[in-house]
Amino acid sequence: MKKLLIMCGTGIATSTVVKGKVEQWLKDNNLSQEVKIYQSKVSDEIGRIDEYDVVLSTTLVPNNIKDKVIDGVPLLTGIGVDAMYEKVLAEIKRE
Amino acid sequence: MRIEEELAIIELEADSKEQVLQLLGSRLIDQGYVKEGFIESILKREVAYPTGLPTEPYGVAIPHTDGDMVHRSTVAFASLKNPVQFLMMGTDDKLVDVQLIFMLALKNPDDQLEMLQKLMGLIQDPEMVSKLVRIESVGALNELVAGKV
Repeated sequence: MKKLLIMCGTGIATSTVVKGKVEQWLKDNNLSQEVKIYQSKVSDEIGRIDEYDVVLSTTLVPNNIKDKVIDGVPLLTGIGVDAMYEKVLAEIKRE
Repeated sequence: MRIEEELAIIELEADSKEQVLQLLGSRLIDQGYVKEGFIESILKREVAYPTGLPTEPYGVAIPHTDGDMVHRSTVAFASLKNPVQFLMMGTDDKLVDVQLIFMLALKNPDDQLEMLQKLMGLIQDPEMVSKLVRIESVGALNELVAGKV
């Protein structure tokens, strides 16, 4: 089971929207059984980011964890969604 | 869900995002939806975690803050005559010209899920964004978003 973290500044607003969309996407792609979603706020996760296989964020993250994090804002604007899901899928499929 | 008459400001003339955030925030405080410190909290949070979204054809901002500043969940709305600049969400250096603001007062992650998703659906529709910017009354606003927010 892959661990997918979705985070935003408060862990309430935009991560909730992103989570809803990602859940649906996982379902549509028959991946629901392979991925467990976690929702949180950035400040709670910075120290344990390596516990997750995939990380989506709608907020800026510190430079030292930047490479690990995929920008989730496309799910809010509708612009660049396919490219974003390609990155997510690559991380889910990574051995 | 509809936007309360007292929580909507149509065709606001503002010079800065701070001005808009203060005006909308004080509506929410006056109506008892949020705590006194809400505006300060929103302003701080906007610096740390910007909420401008580069939607088409006009940018939209969705300022919000921690749930413990909120008594009752709701949404306040402002359309601007002229854009003000917000930092783009997920960046600390990109600016976006914003003409629509949905200020979210959210208490819990789940209680407003449906509303949030509908709202995000609305602002992903360029035609809807154009219509919202040109809206002339709260009544027309609620007619436009009826069933959608």
